[in-house]
Amino acid sequence: MKAQAFALLRAGRGRALPLLLLALAILALHNIDSTPLASLRDAQFDRYQRQMPRVREDEPVIVVGIDSQSLAQHGQWPWSRDLIARLVDHIQAGKPLALGIDIVFAEQDRHSPEVLAAKLPSLSRSALAALPDPDRILARSLGGGPTALAIVGLSNPLPGSKQPSRPLPVFTQQPALDQVLPNFVGALASLSMLEDAAAGEGLVNASTDTLRSNTDGGILRRVPTIGLIEHQPFLSLPLEMFRLALREGGTVTPVLGRHGMEALQIGDYRFPTQANGELLLHFGRASSNYYLSAADVLAGIHPPEMFSSRFVIIGFNSTGLQDRVITPLGESLPGIDIHAQVIESLLTGAALKRPVWMAQLELAALLFGGLLLISTMPILQPRYAVVSFVALLVIICGGGYLAFHLGKWLFDIASQALLLSPIFISLLANNLIAADSQRREAEKHLLASREEAARVNGELDAARRIQMGLLPDPARLLADESRFAIAALLEPARAVGGDYFDCLMLDPRRLCLAIGDVSGKGVPASLFMAISKTLTSVLTRRQPDLGQAVRNIEEELSRENPEFLFVTAFIAVIDVESGEMEYVCAGHDAPILLRQGEVSRIDTAAHGGPPLCAIGDYPFIADRVQLQPNDLLCLFTDGVTEADNGEAMYGSKNLENAILQAKTGDLQVAVNRLRDSVRHFEAGHPPSDDLTLLLLRWTG
Amino acid sequence: MNLPTREQSGVLIVSVSGRIDHLASEEFTQAIEPILQQCKNGNRPVLLDFSAVEYISSAGLRVLMMASRRAKAEKGVFAIASLQPLVQEVFAISRFNLIMPCYVSIDAACKVLGS
Repeated sequence: MKAQAFALLRAGRGRALPLLLLALAILALHNIDSTPLASLRDAQFDRYQRQMPRVREDEPVIVVGIDSQSLAQHGQWPWSRDLIARLVDHIQAGKPLALGIDIVFAEQDRHSPEVLAAKLPSLSRSALAALPDPDRILARSLGGGPTALAIVGLSNPLPGSKQPSRPLPVFTQQPALDQVLPNFVGALASLSMLEDAAAGEGLVNASTDTLRSNTDGGILRRVPTIGLIEHQPFLSLPLEMFRLALREGGTVTPVLGRHGMEALQIGDYRFPTQANGELLLHFGRASSNYYLSAADVLAGIHPPEMFSSRFVIIGFNSTGLQDRVITPLGESLPGIDIHAQVIESLLTGAALKRPVWMAQLELAALLFGGLLLISTMPILQPRYAVVSFVALLVIICGGGYLAFHLGKWLFDIASQALLLSPIFISLLANNLIAADSQRREAEKHLLASREEAARVNGELDAARRIQMGLLPDPARLLADESRFAIAALLEPARAVGGDYFDCLMLDPRRLCLAIGDVSGKGVPASLFMAISKTLTSVLTRRQPDLGQAVRNIEEELSRENPEFLFVTAFIAVIDVESGEMEYVCAGHDAPILLRQGEVSRIDTAAHGGPPLCAIGDYPFIADRVQLQPNDLLCLFTDGVTEADNGEAMYGSKNLENAILQAKTGDLQVAVNRLRDSVRHFEAGHPPSDDLTLLLLRWTG
Repeated sequence: MNLPTREQSGVLIVSVSGRIDHLASEEFTQAIEPILQQCKNGNRPVLLDFSAVEYISSAGLRVLMMASRRAKAEKGVFAIASLQPLVQEVFAISRFNLIMPCYVSIDAACKVLGS
């Protein structure tokens, strides 16, 4: 089961599953409105606004609220129209840019003469005629400035619904618009007398799409800009106010694109819309600064200049009467505040932008991001893979916030991050599996190489034991010897070489000395050294002629020598009574002779030959030299002269000087001093070859 | 190890350089292998130009010995020339001049070996 899951993850080099996930992600994003991703996206758009709310710098809009204080002072709602007329007069006195009244005066005032006549038949005609008509008073007030009345578009013809009489006067009707704009069969509008007195009428519907409202979770994000009532175009109330403020310049032109409306132009002001003409509002923080109480305005507390060059909206701001909406900023505001925000947005051009192509851009970004992950992650180490995914998310999110900050573009980063995550996780899982199997493989290799190293070490240990075990101990061997003294040492290099030395009495008078260096390393060299050492002792004992003995040694060694090893050697036989030394040199360094404070080399040039086994049948001949009492002979291998400190080699001159300086009383001390001189010269550089020294003093 | 070759008077001259110690001798063995394959009876004589060799250890000498043996078995001509003093000393001590022909210079060798 586990193996099957792994196989699924790793299919197509670990790319098959992520590609499938990417395809599903693109499908989900394409149909985002039927997935829970839609609410995530809207929440992200709200988050943009919450983090970067629109800055409300000046206050171009004043809201005159019919609040609790006003109701307490002037009685229950509905107020008589003449009271409203007074309110309108107070505001108009300040010459506002436009006045909007977010109230529908659909029925006659209850104090109008006709209503009173019906209610009180006893009233005389003359008395009735003398009574003022509040509706007429309000109509007169409305005509005192550019005023817009509210209308409510209705989807079903209710009793009392009618066709408002003040559609947009100049509007280039386009058939394509009918398809996208909300269309109402009727409207709740004010009395015809009031309609005629007002300069315009504006829709106050929050949203026509109930389904849309439901998914918005009661949050108001978009407001309609334009709607049709029986195919007659009407702006929303704040836009209508805006249009009126521009006077003759307020020509309304919808900008159409392939998918519907793209923008709406009123005079020189242009702002982007959704395809159905809705405006994505960029909300600012609510403030009570621009709210005035209707009672205060009626009492004349505020000077009329306060309204000059401002938009003024009259509406409800009382606990019992108002409709409240929740904004993306999380604030609960009276509905009239939205009108104020719309006007402010129009003035600053601060509408949010989410054109149709933004969804396509999001699809493209998802596809690009997904393919980038799929192409790069499998070749990255897990830790870099995580870093690059985080970097990708930072780029996407940063880009989203930057786009909002700079151009108020709404780019859905939440869905991007959420949809890329499963792709990343499956890629990372595959990466981790790959890294894990690589680690196991590496561990296996390490184990194998450790075993190999242990095996080689074992071999080298064996070689070293063979080498060291064969060496004689001169101190023990010649403990009670008075005619001569011998000291020797052999220090193997890290890798085993094939040095050896030997000293033995062939008979009571004859001492045999030998030193040798086998070319090559390891067990073969060690065994070769063991054989040559044994042959040397056996054949020199048996053959009185040293030259012949060496020829025999070479012959025997060469008989079985598959590795083509050779050995340089210096073999000497000393008559310890007379001091006569017979010697053969086979390609070895000439020993150093210290005689009465002078150093010289044993002459090996005359009859010396190549290393044993280099040719195989060299006619070696022994040389002779007469030793004098207290002569000191130093035999050594190239581990001494070729000791290296990284710059130069120790050389035979240094060795000769060291022999001259070494006090020769105790040979074992002297040989150690020579060794110390070499090691001091090396200055910590690891020796590459065995170091062998043998000192002999013939006392005579 | 790189062993550039050239020809002079019908002799294949192989330029060897550096220190031929225990480590380098392994590379030297492998590098010289293709040259040895040509060193046969009737082929061009092979001459190692040792003018740029600073040092040779016993392991390096062994490579030369085996090469020389192999050339001898194939009846080819295998020689060495232009030894630096240090290398000359090693050759003198180990008597390798008895194992393979050594010449003072390339020109001297070509005079003897060349056609």
